[in-house]
Amino acid sequence: MSDLKSGISRRSVLKGAAIGGIGIAAGGSLLAGCGSKATGPLAYGARSVDTGPTAQNEALIAAYTAKTENEVNYNATESNAFQNNLSQYLQGTPDDTFEWMAGYRMQFFAEQGLLADLTPVWDTIGDQYDESYKIASTGLDGKQYFVPKSWYPWGLHFRKSMFADLGLNADNVTNWDEYLKMLDGMKKKGLVGFAAGDKGGWEAMGTFDILNARINGYQFHVDLLAGREKWTDAKVTEVFRHWEMLVPYMNPNVLDLEWDGAMQLLLQKKAGSMLMGSWFGGNFKEQSEADYADLSIMPFPEINPAYGRDTVDAPIDGWCVAANGTNNEGGADFLAFAGDIEGVNATLAAKDAKGALIPMTSANKGQDTSSYDAFQKEQLAVMAEAKYITQFLDRDTRPDFAGPVVGPAIQSWFKNPKDVAKIQDTLQAQWDALPPLA
Amino acid sequence: MSSTTKNKTKVPRRRAFSKADRTTLSAFVGIPLFFHLLLVWIPAVLTILLSFTYWSGISISRIRWAGLANYKNIFFDTPAFWEALKNNTVWLGWFGLIATPIGILLAYQIDRQIRGHKFYETAYYLPVVLSLAVTGIIWNFLLRPDGFVNGLLGRDIDNAISFFGNYDINLYVILTIASWRHIGYIMLLYLAGLKSVDAALREASALDGATEWQTFKKVVFPSMKPVNVIVIVITMIESLRAFDIVYIIYGSSAGFPILGTLVFQNIAGEGASMKGAAYATILFVLSIGPIIAYLRTTFKSDVQ
Amino acid sequence: MSIDLNLQAAATKYKNKQKVKDRFISALIGVFAIVWIFPIVWTIWTSLRPYKDVRANGVFSMPKSLNLQNYADAISRMELPLYFANTFAITIPAVFLTLFFGSLIAFVVSRYSFKWNVSLLLLFTAGNLLPAQLVFIPVFKMYITLGKALGIPRLLYDSPWGVVLIHVAFQMGFATFVLSSYMKTVPKEISESAMVDGASVYVHYTKVMLPLLRPALASLAVLMTTWIYNDFFWALVLMSTDSKRPITSALGRLQGEFVTDYNLLAAGAAIAALPTLIVFFVLRKQFVSGLTLGSTKG
Repeated sequence: MSDLKSGISRRSVLKGAAIGGIGIAAGGSLLAGCGSKATGPLAYGARSVDTGPTAQNEALIAAYTAKTENEVNYNATESNAFQNNLSQYLQGTPDDTFEWMAGYRMQFFAEQGLLADLTPVWDTIGDQYDESYKIASTGLDGKQYFVPKSWYPWGLHFRKSMFADLGLNADNVTNWDEYLKMLDGMKKKGLVGFAAGDKGGWEAMGTFDILNARINGYQFHVDLLAGREKWTDAKVTEVFRHWEMLVPYMNPNVLDLEWDGAMQLLLQKKAGSMLMGSWFGGNFKEQSEADYADLSIMPFPEINPAYGRDTVDAPIDGWCVAANGTNNEGGADFLAFAGDIEGVNATLAAKDAKGALIPMTSANKGQDTSSYDAFQKEQLAVMAEAKYITQFLDRDTRPDFAGPVVGPAIQSWFKNPKDVAKIQDTLQAQWDALPPLA
Repeated sequence: MSSTTKNKTKVPRRRAFSKADRTTLSAFVGIPLFFHLLLVWIPAVLTILLSFTYWSGISISRIRWAGLANYKNIFFDTPAFWEALKNNTVWLGWFGLIATPIGILLAYQIDRQIRGHKFYETAYYLPVVLSLAVTGIIWNFLLRPDGFVNGLLGRDIDNAISFFGNYDINLYVILTIASWRHIGYIMLLYLAGLKSVDAALREASALDGATEWQTFKKVVFPSMKPVNVIVIVITMIESLRAFDIVYIIYGSSAGFPILGTLVFQNIAGEGASMKGAAYATILFVLSIGPIIAYLRTTFKSDVQ
Repeated sequence: MSIDLNLQAAATKYKNKQKVKDRFISALIGVFAIVWIFPIVWTIWTSLRPYKDVRANGVFSMPKSLNLQNYADAISRMELPLYFANTFAITIPAVFLTLFFGSLIAFVVSRYSFKWNVSLLLLFTAGNLLPAQLVFIPVFKMYITLGKALGIPRLLYDSPWGVVLIHVAFQMGFATFVLSSYMKTVPKEISESAMVDGASVYVHYTKVMLPLLRPALASLAVLMTTWIYNDFFWALVLMSTDSKRPITSALGRLQGEFVTDYNLLAAGAAIAALPTLIVFFVLRKQFVSGLTLGSTKG
């Protein structure tokens, strides 16, 4: 039996990013010495090759180079390849600083000694972040190993124009029954009510997370992922029972579409709603400004009144410094700049190929949320409602369980939704059989 | 055409090799052998040993003995393993009963120089020359929800036939793509072997009034025994080792399990553990039979 | 006499029947051959159509224009020259070393009678058949440990040389086997007379055997180049810097980056496949003879 350490147990309340846009005045930094050292050339590892994030990174690096005259070598890898290679990358020839995710995924590598201690960086920029971000950036030994950059909530995305055509009002879809009625109405119009793609094996985890949190509450969800509750529990059966009610409203080729396939359904107005993280705003914007303006998000409806809509998956992306990099000091110095409001503003000023600003929800308290567009404000609203934040299943539990076990288990459930009991049994058996972490 | 290394017209051995010669010989053998042992055999043995440990692959100091725990986990607690075995078995059956025989028959017909044989030879072999990365892209174009075939059938992205996601058919889809390549490969191997069949035998058989099929069955096929063994061995090994096509299409997602991808998932990536080494060892053990058969057939005359 | 005529008549009847069968077989194979190359043809077709045209009018529309614009875009946007340079940096040394080492072992094993000749052959050939993933972790650890020990972290990991060496180690077996088969067809007398003339082993190899090996080396070079060029696994796992990867490993990333622009992707894939296709069409004879040597003995 395996039990994860307390590093990911009860999270404290996160409200800061939701409310506090007004704090330190944008553009000003009261802290001296943020990214102003000459530390020599350093390497930056990006884990995306998409145009939007690349433009943002280039803007950030340009600002840093202008300020410190330290040369930065930019090294981008496609996301999946980056994740698969991370263990080798960190042991071998990592960049000095690289993009990564918060949660157990980061704590694991810190514990193996592959990440550099960033507590000094937090000493300088720590007050620009809420406590919960600091907790999310802390390793199992109490030191910080991560600097947050941005976050996005998981919620139900829809198009305002489609809702208008259907005579729907997002404010009226607050609980499960209303949501099912909405889906029913969409189906009658020939639309896919709940677009889903799970070819990659991880996309549907978001649905599991939110259903579990809604039905059984935040504490049960966290305990389940940490091994303190059992997958064979009747509560988990309830999750699948509700999920099965959504199946008639899904597209039939769930296992053949990845997340971008489901997004296409929404983009092409073939689907009414999609549960997803809000990172793809940029894709809609690339299509057209009108499409982006049409995009909206609402929290997943309440199921159990005891819990309401108090939990949301909001993974935090950010950076780490690789212990095996050649210039740890440079990496830390860069992050002190990137995490500071100065770096954040440089990132936010980046423009895409069409010359428009690229939306990003920063973790930094200082981000001027008054300049947020409508979609970003809605994301804030989704976050504001939630008392508890989770990082997403594959970041909140053991990596040798999430990808290899839970992923295919959910996929086999899609193949045969009646097999719930068997799937629960194998999940628990495989959790029990996990080898001790070495 | 002597195929033995024993020298019949031996000059009395003045085989006191000079010092220079001995050095040269040692270098000639030693250097390649060094690399081969260092990068192939020693790592293979190490991986097999590692399969009996608990380790995430990162700090050597954290390796702990696990005995048979990884294997127990695989055999008793990992349903994906049995699914993978089933998939590999179907793969083997498909290759062995469908793809390879088609390749052989194609080779035979092309060797007979039926009309258009030059074009056919090129056409069927073309997929073999392509990298599997390119092959994956090509077939993705055809079979994606918004690809050629679904377009032809007039289906949109939301009701497309799910060639890769429908688990009733996707195994056969993958096998078709794999066969696209395998058939050409077998065809060329067999073509090469057919050149060594005595033409006189075939003519005699034709004169006796045998049909081509009978000629093939009774004359040609039996005389190709060494090539037959090679083709069978390659079929088996390719079915066991299969990985590239599935990786290109499914990435590292665990949805379509075969032994090759199970190894990769458990060795690379964040959830790495020595279960991956155990999978690799199982793959190796399953390959031993075909490898020995291959070695036996090929070096029979040398081993005497 | 009449019996002969009867026999001949029977033979002719069979022949005619066979001719009909043959036409049918030829037609069947022909139809299949066209189906066979259709995926490739479709990809090339896709690459010739401009993206905007297809977006506006659909995949099956009649083309308004067919041009090579996608190819130009692919070269500039996908950084193809860089990836091709990486490919050559890996393929050329790997093929050279594989042939070189293979010829050395084949030479010793087929020209001199040592007790361990056969064992060597067995060892190398079996090594060629091992699954690649069986060796990955220890090789990776070796590469970075050596790099760290020598103070050059990128000595073997994340370096073309690391990929070259692993290819050489694995493919050596096949080269050895093919070359030793071939060398067996070279008459013993040539070697004997060289030795009688007092040639050293070194001279025996360089001046006597090597020139005779040219045809086999050529065929083998063609085969090896194709195989090593087409590999994507080793470069994927032994390199962490994307800009150092060869074209085949980079295709994975390009597929992710340009996922919706099929036409551009098709052009990129076509360009990536071009070298092997050229080699295949131009050097087909060598290709086939390489496989011939490899699949049969003597």
